[in-house]
Amino acid sequence: MNPVKPLRSSGFHLKPLKLLQFFLLLGVAIFMLTPLIVVLLVSFSQSAVFNLPSANWFDPDFSQWSLKWYRSMLNRKELMSTFSLSIFVAVTATLVSLVLGTLCAYALDRGTFKGRDALLAFLVSPLMMPGLVLGVAMLQAFRAIGLYEVSIALIIGHIVITLPYITRTVHASLNLFDMGLIEAAQTLGTAKYQAILKVMVPALSPAFLTSGLFSFLASMDNYPISIFLTTAREKTLPVEILKLLEESPDPTIAAISTCLIFLSILTLYIAQRLVGLKRLVQF
Amino acid sequence: MSTLVLRNVGKRYSTHQVIDGLNLEIHSGEFVSLLGPSGCGKTTLLRIIAGLTQCDDGEVLLDGNDITDLAPHKRGVGVVFQNYALFPHLNVYENIAFGLKAKRLDAEAIDAEVKQALLSVQMSQFSDRSVAGLSGGQQQRIAVARALATKPKLILLDEPLSALDRKLREAMQIELKHLLRDAGMTAVFVTHDQEEALVMSDRIAVMNKGIIEQLDLPERVYARPKTAFVLNFVGLSAQWHGSICSQGLDLMTIKLGEASIDCPTQVGMSVGSPVLIGVRPERIRVQAVMDELESPIDSLVDIAPDRKINKIRMTVRELVFRGSNTLCYLDSALAGEVPIIVELSANTTYTPQVGEGVDLVWAVRDTLIFSLDPVACNS
Amino acid sequence: MKYKKIKRSIAWLALPGVGFLSLVFVVPLLALLATSLIGPDNHFTLSGYVSFFSDKFNFGVLSNTLKIATWVTLICLLIGYCVAFAMASASPLIQAIMFLIFIIPLSVGVVVKAFAWTILLRSNGLVNRILISMGIADEPLKLLFTESGLIIGAVHVFLPFMVLPIFAVVRQLDHRLAEAASTLGANPVRTFVKITLPLTLPGVVAGCSFVFSMTLSMYVIPSLLIGDRYQTLPGLIARAYLFMRDRQNGSVMAVLLLSMAIAAVVLSALITRQLQRSQKTLASSV
Repeated sequence: MNPVKPLRSSGFHLKPLKLLQFFLLLGVAIFMLTPLIVVLLVSFSQSAVFNLPSANWFDPDFSQWSLKWYRSMLNRKELMSTFSLSIFVAVTATLVSLVLGTLCAYALDRGTFKGRDALLAFLVSPLMMPGLVLGVAMLQAFRAIGLYEVSIALIIGHIVITLPYITRTVHASLNLFDMGLIEAAQTLGTAKYQAILKVMVPALSPAFLTSGLFSFLASMDNYPISIFLTTAREKTLPVEILKLLEESPDPTIAAISTCLIFLSILTLYIAQRLVGLKRLVQF
Repeated sequence: MSTLVLRNVGKRYSTHQVIDGLNLEIHSGEFVSLLGPSGCGKTTLLRIIAGLTQCDDGEVLLDGNDITDLAPHKRGVGVVFQNYALFPHLNVYENIAFGLKAKRLDAEAIDAEVKQALLSVQMSQFSDRSVAGLSGGQQQRIAVARALATKPKLILLDEPLSALDRKLREAMQIELKHLLRDAGMTAVFVTHDQEEALVMSDRIAVMNKGIIEQLDLPERVYARPKTAFVLNFVGLSAQWHGSICSQGLDLMTIKLGEASIDCPTQVGMSVGSPVLIGVRPERIRVQAVMDELESPIDSLVDIAPDRKINKIRMTVRELVFRGSNTLCYLDSALAGEVPIIVELSANTTYTPQVGEGVDLVWAVRDTLIFSLDPVACNS
Repeated sequence: MKYKKIKRSIAWLALPGVGFLSLVFVVPLLALLATSLIGPDNHFTLSGYVSFFSDKFNFGVLSNTLKIATWVTLICLLIGYCVAFAMASASPLIQAIMFLIFIIPLSVGVVVKAFAWTILLRSNGLVNRILISMGIADEPLKLLFTESGLIIGAVHVFLPFMVLPIFAVVRQLDHRLAEAASTLGANPVRTFVKITLPLTLPGVVAGCSFVFSMTLSMYVIPSLLIGDRYQTLPGLIARAYLFMRDRQNGSVMAVLLLSMAIAAVVLSALITRQLQRSQKTLASSV
């Protein structure tokens, strides 16, 4: 009997490589998150000079922290109206895009007309264009036809950037959906439109939810189109923030930004709860 | 000198021991199959030999050199993967040339070797083709050619024919065997298909739960299985449960319920031990029930030249016609978990009816016996 | 007969969406193109383009824009490629965490992130504090309002767009191909260069085209991080429309930016199609 050799440590898997991998991921993670954390901390600072509230990371002196920028934010009436305009535009544009986009996706998936690929490419093309150029073009066009109503112009503009994304996502999801399920439902006694509602819509709901939520966020954050379609009196949140930064920068902006960060995290959390992280990964 | 030696090889995954104290010796030019069900460790063993997985215990020696810690690209061991693993961005020529380029041969030498390799698998006209357009059988040939082109010391094949349909697979079995023999290759072949192993191998290693239950010539694996597992995994058999009621120098008597039969004495078993009795179907003759005095033993001389036979009475439950033979399913209170199945060849004179009582007759020396005693099994 | 009619009528479902886009997207763009080609005397003229290209200042702007885009793309590629591989060989938990770490900043939006970098890049900001405490710099570097600061901020914003496409490709790589290569005698370097790298190219091309065209068109980040003294093409366009009301010049530059972005997309699509043709995945059954 040969003596049994002791358990060998991994030979081929280079230990230094694993270490490098770990530090690389850690470094990138810190790089990606630090700016957001810094904004959060600045929003709680006492001074108006964008300092971090306490210099010592391991002994945060919470007495130095202050909520005054949040109070300042809530006191500004024009911020509230800006915020409500942003929300209104985002929600409306997303809902309209969901409807239009689903119709387009369905037509592309089930239709048998020629040029389907070209049509899909056309519907997705706005995503590839610089937002700035779209904003400029729309500004010119709307002025030419006399459309000066800011909220309508914004909604139209934001539909242009959300529709492609929703169409693409819903179409991809539709591609994976087995139409045989509708036929099975029909043989079990449901009318076609009922079958669509009861079988297909639930199956597509992850696509609706993820693309809808991300479109909402994209619209809330959009600047290149919004800057050209807003006026001095009616602005969306991103435009307002940049104006504040140029004119009177103070940590109120950090407070606003922190709220936006939490809005995004909340949206992601809702999406993840409804759809699961795995499906989110396929967005 | 043996080409490949595995000494006391062990491999653990976090939950269980996949391979345990495994020893194997393969000689130059041999074709050895690792045969076993999924999860028995055969693919893990193959990967250990190739160096793609590291073993936790034991040693791997190739031509006398210890390669246990050697990286796969330095071992000189060729591998044909189950899904062929042809490089999709290279055409057929470049796939085969890949290993040769790694050896830094010059362009002329590479060209000659590639052409030779393509010729040996009869795929010369596919040289410029992209691999994506090839059929399963063609891809398989290119995969083999690619592995052989580097003239490895040993070639490993991981169920290379499992993706092919039956007819193609049977044709490829012969072709592959000849190809490897002509190249003088030592080969280790992993499969779960016992027929394939029987057809192709010089020796078969039957694996179960990380150990080799039997390493033997195909004929012996079939006719003289060492364990109940091998009996069941390779080929069909009629099986009964019983216990040893007496033990002599030559023969033991086994009690199977009401009946009793004889079998050659085995060491390590004692009176009273529970045993499993197995007989290969083609060794059994089905006879109409007769009086003892009438039994014409002489007519059984072809299956039992020493005239020692066993006889058991059973009832026919079902007959299944299969063309060249008929399977006969038999009932009895003695039957174990495996239904008793006997083959009736097409040119037999006697065909029983369902419900009829028949005698099963076979030579004593064809009786296979396996201990069911858990203590005895561990020795 | 009725079935065919239904099938054809399904196509009409797309009409609202298509019609909307055509009206609101195509027509304005065409109008923009038209504006760039119509001079003050309302005749067709290329003088807008000619005068743009004959101004040396504009060449500086173009080269700035392209330079920044190239730098950001290269840095994102370097970091992103390594990160994608590191992620792909990590446990599923780490993969999910890293995925979130990339998605959260994406969802937060450009404005907040650019604002964050204005804080970080200050003389007393975190970046300088770290550099000084690590001994890399003796005194605070001027990062805000410099190209370096702009590149850092842009890399932060666009890195996810490089990592995620490459990660998607690397995750699907058949690891048995690399194993096959090593059993054929290729050392790890050769295996990577000849087998792994070529197969990741589709992801690399996608990531680079995203990042390049987005960096080309970025407006918020340079506006906050580098200010008015350093002009990029988007900055000039915004200025022309918001402050100077110079329609024709603005539209010329807008068309130019659009062309560059479309060129990047078209080029990457062509390269990708070429790659797909030569890398058709095998229809093997395992």
